[in-house]
Parts: sequence; structure tokens; C-alpha cells
Amino acid sequence: MIDSKQATNALADIDDTVRRVRQSLIYQLSSLIMLMCGALVFAGNVLSWLWPRYGLYIWIGVYVFATLGLFALSAYNYAQSRIRTFDHRYLLTFLLIIAFGIFCCVFGQFTPRQQTTFWPVYIMLFYMLAGVWFGTAFIVIGAAIIALTLIGYIYIPGMPFLLWMAVVNGGGLFVGGLWMRRS
Amino acid sequence: MAELDDIIHQPLRLKIMAALNALPAEVGLEFARLKKLTGATDGNLGAHIETLAKAGYVSVEKAFVGKKPQTTVTATAAGRGAFARHVATLQEIIAGKQI
Repeated sequence: MIDSKQATNALADIDDTVRRVRQSLIYQLSSLIMLMCGALVFAGNVLSWLWPRYGLYIWIGVYVFATLGLFALSAYNYAQSRIRTFDHRYLLTFLLIIAFGIFCCVFGQFTPRQQTTFWPVYIMLFYMLAGVWFGTAFIVIGAAIIALTLIGYIYIPGMPFLLWMAVVNGGGLFVGGLWMRRS
Repeated sequence: MAELDDIIHQPLRLKIMAALNALPAEVGLEFARLKKLTGATDGNLGAHIETLAKAGYVSVEKAFVGKKPQTTVTATAAGRGAFARHVATLQEIIAGKQI
């Protein structure tokens, strides 16, 4: 028989392992979502650079594809792990985040360049908040993308800023997704 | 008075069972992921999984994904029950119900 200290240590080991499993499941799904979002954001920025007049429609398309993709990844994840991850509550949360972003852009009367900067910084803020609860990888990825976005906003004038954002934001999410997959 | 399960109580086997019990029933973990989660070596992990499998606490499924072999370990109903009893016993020891 063991004493209460050894029993406490055994339970602490169990708690630690369970925490690691949950974090691993979150990272596994998040990495897929980041790879998808990275590809969509990269395409969105490059298409906006090629056809700036259609920027609004391009980004509406990006968000529609992202939402459909989240449902598809959720269904895939459910088939793999029997854990449901993206349901109507997550969809509502996602839509509220987008709605508040649109509210800021309209009432702040942001220029297209400011909007290009605002959205990644705004979305990455939620990544960093997620990191407080689910793992430091989210904080590192969010902080890196925000910093590079602001550097581009300050130092890269004109349309090439969209290409910078394609690499920094789209590429950053993609690389972050691959890194998270290995974590 | 409940007793600790000697098979589960070994530290690495305890981690393996904790990891598998954190998943829904009938969902398993790949060997490589289990190795990362427990911090064990290939040989050590394989030996302890075999011990758990012989006790009927886990099932081991080997399959090919593409050309790569993949081993998936899943906690059985008996394993989940034994783990739950083991955790309850640990909690009893902490509460001072057992010496």
C-alpha cells in the first residue's frame, strides 16, 4: 500500500497526462484550421492585389469558405475522435467576432489599407486569448503575425502591402499550423 | 476496502491508461502520439502496452495507412473500469480512508 503523498503524486500524474491529451487534441484540430485559413488568407490577399476593385467580394468569399471549411474539419475531427468541436455555438461566436470587426471598420471609417491591417491584428487577438487557456503556441503565433503586420503597415507603402500580408498572414498561419502539428 | 491495481499503478502504465481514458470510449491513440504524450521510448512503451493488453485493459490494432504501419491503442471497457477503481482508491488513500 502507498501513503497519501504517493497517492497525491499519482493523481497529479494522471491530471497532467489528461491535460496533455486535451492540449494535443486541440493542437491537432487547430493546426488543420490554421492550414486551411492560411491558404484562404494567402489567396484572399493575392486576389485583392490582382483585382483590388473586387476586394470586398473576395473577402466575403474567403469568410464563407472559412466557415464551410470549419464545419467540414469539425465533421472530419468527429469521425476521427468522436469529439464534436464546431457546432452552432462556435458558429455564433465566429459570426459575432466578424460582426464586431465590421462594426469597428464602419464606425472607425477605416481606409482599405487600415482594414487590411485591422483584420489580422483583430483575429490574432483571439488567437492570443485562446493561448491563455489552451497553450502558448497560440500566443507565439498571434504575437508574431501582429508584429509582422504592423511592420508591413509602417514600412511597406501601396499595393505591395497586400503581398506582404499574403506572406505574413497567410504564410504565418500556414507555418504556424505546421509547427502546431509537430508540437 | 478497495486495493490498488498493481498493473495500472506502475508510473508509465498509469500515464498510458490516463491518456486513453481521457478519450471517448472506443477512440484510441496512435503509438507515436502516445509516445510523445508519455515521454517513453519505443521499447519501453511497447513492453508496457503489451502488459496492459495481456491484462485485457487495452486493445492493440495494427493497420497500414498508405504504406506506413500504424498501431492504435484503445482502452477496453475492462480497462476503463479498472482505471476508475484505481483512481477511486487513490482518492480514498488521500482522504485517509485507507492506510
